[in-house]
Amino acid sequence: MRVTRRRFVAAAGLGAVAGCTGSADPGAGGTSSTSTGSGVEESIPVEDVVPTADRTLPLPMARDDLRAHAVSGGPPKDGIPSIDDPTFVGSANADFLNPGDPVFGVVHGDVVKAYPQKILVRHEIVNDHLGDRPVAVTYCPLTGTVQGFERGETTFGVSGRLINNNLVMYDRATETWWPQILATSIPGPWNETPGTHSLREFGLVWTTWRLWRERHPDTTVLSTDTGSAQNYGRDPYGSYNPTRGYYENGTTLFGTLTEDDRFDRKHVVLGARIPDGAVAFDKAPLLERGVMTGELGGTPVVAVADSDLDTGYVYLNPDGRPVASDGERVSVDGSSHDPADLPLARVHTFDAMWFAWHGYYPETDVYA
Amino acid sequence: MSTRDGRSRVGAAVSRTLTVTRVVLRRRDASAVAAATGLGYLLVYLYALGHLAPGIGGVDVTVVSDAFATFFRPALGPLSFRPVARVSVGPITYLFSLNTVLGTGVAALVGLNLGTTYLAWRQPSTCGVGTSSSGVLAGIPAVLSGTACCGPVVLFALGVQASGIVVTAFQFLLPAAVVLLVGSLVLVGRRVDPTAI
Repeated sequence: MRVTRRRFVAAAGLGAVAGCTGSADPGAGGTSSTSTGSGVEESIPVEDVVPTADRTLPLPMARDDLRAHAVSGGPPKDGIPSIDDPTFVGSANADFLNPGDPVFGVVHGDVVKAYPQKILVRHEIVNDHLGDRPVAVTYCPLTGTVQGFERGETTFGVSGRLINNNLVMYDRATETWWPQILATSIPGPWNETPGTHSLREFGLVWTTWRLWRERHPDTTVLSTDTGSAQNYGRDPYGSYNPTRGYYENGTTLFGTLTEDDRFDRKHVVLGARIPDGAVAFDKAPLLERGVMTGELGGTPVVAVADSDLDTGYVYLNPDGRPVASDGERVSVDGSSHDPADLPLARVHTFDAMWFAWHGYYPETDVYA
Repeated sequence: MSTRDGRSRVGAAVSRTLTVTRVVLRRRDASAVAAATGLGYLLVYLYALGHLAPGIGGVDVTVVSDAFATFFRPALGPLSFRPVARVSVGPITYLFSLNTVLGTGVAALVGLNLGTTYLAWRQPSTCGVGTSSSGVLAGIPAVLSGTACCGPVVLFALGVQASGIVVTAFQFLLPAAVVLLVGSLVLVGRRVDPTAI
């Protein structure tokens, strides 16, 4: 990680920055050592460093107001250490996983990887590669969200701040704050003027180790050899296997941006958002019914379940083509397809706790 | 005049506490009480931190690279430091960090408090049991100090939502515990007559 950063900084002609980026902020409420006098924020335009999307995703309020909602989660900057040099093992060597343990799976060409929740809960960010593409796999335990981002030549770290109980990441080249769910830059104490950009995202599947291994027996798995001395057998927040603690009760650790009682706070929805709007499908009935329809920013969409992985996908369906499921295969206009591969435009979708989704997207369309 | 008296009284109390401490360490029964409570506290402290807890099993020892630098790096909360070694023995995993050193220091104070309280209890004519239990009471913030390093995670066990004030307050638990433990040690120690033991 450091080598990569230093290479980048050297290439950018900003060697003076290199010594600052590796150290932790000693105080949770303080500012980064790079924030004063380094000129990082003026010197490196965000869009020159981090791959960004063509259009910006919706925000629930002005960016400065979002910043005002940031609270210290307790750990200082990088107090939760990202994994910057991940190693992987074959599925046969993942004996630290139980069949019901959550894993976050991704397929990219020939690359098939699983990131165990029990490891990510201790690190929240893995700076990795999918093939030759540098990516960050990020997980926020308090909102139940796992999201993948392209990261270019920089790496992402954990700022120690939370908005709406959600991880606020920062990129180590420009020190810009990136609230995870929003995937969009906001001003912060380490970079006051990052502009408004949204990250390029890719999807991960929240499923169980048993289901992922059955679907992808050739998968590799993030190893517990992370470079940190952590206890990966103990989740400080509770447990998903079985579900208990924070993940099932109705309390949040910090204040939420909004409250909405249509679902319990921790109820899991499948959320999708595009520049024109947001939509949430209740995950449980989707898995039962196989298909649900709705609208996203005024455009008809269809959500389909993938029962093999206990997940679902959302597709734009502007022409209202008939979609049906037999529980395994999905038919579109009478032709049969894998749920993950319909002949429609797929929208980036991920699991989220209801309070987190509604807090960030209060105008979301909701289907249950 | 009164200031000199005050200093004199404090000096006498500290002197007597040091003497009583030596007695605690010398007497087999008192030192056993001190060692047992100190060790018990350290185990609770490490458990509260999550540094001594059930793990993923197996037998394994892992030491991080750049361990010395990592040893002083902050982790999850105020006065919380990053583990530099992991020892897994069957179902139990132990993480070694600067917090083990800090916890050992606080555990020593807890042990001395209880050892001294034990001596006071053995002198009921000198010091009533009710008063001598102050050493036990001083152990409560000491135990809480262990939770300080968990940051707000402890709050949902209590059903309390964190705020800036609460999070800030966590950083004072460990220093407060040390102050209270030293204070209670002197408080109890000065009431014990070493010659009567």
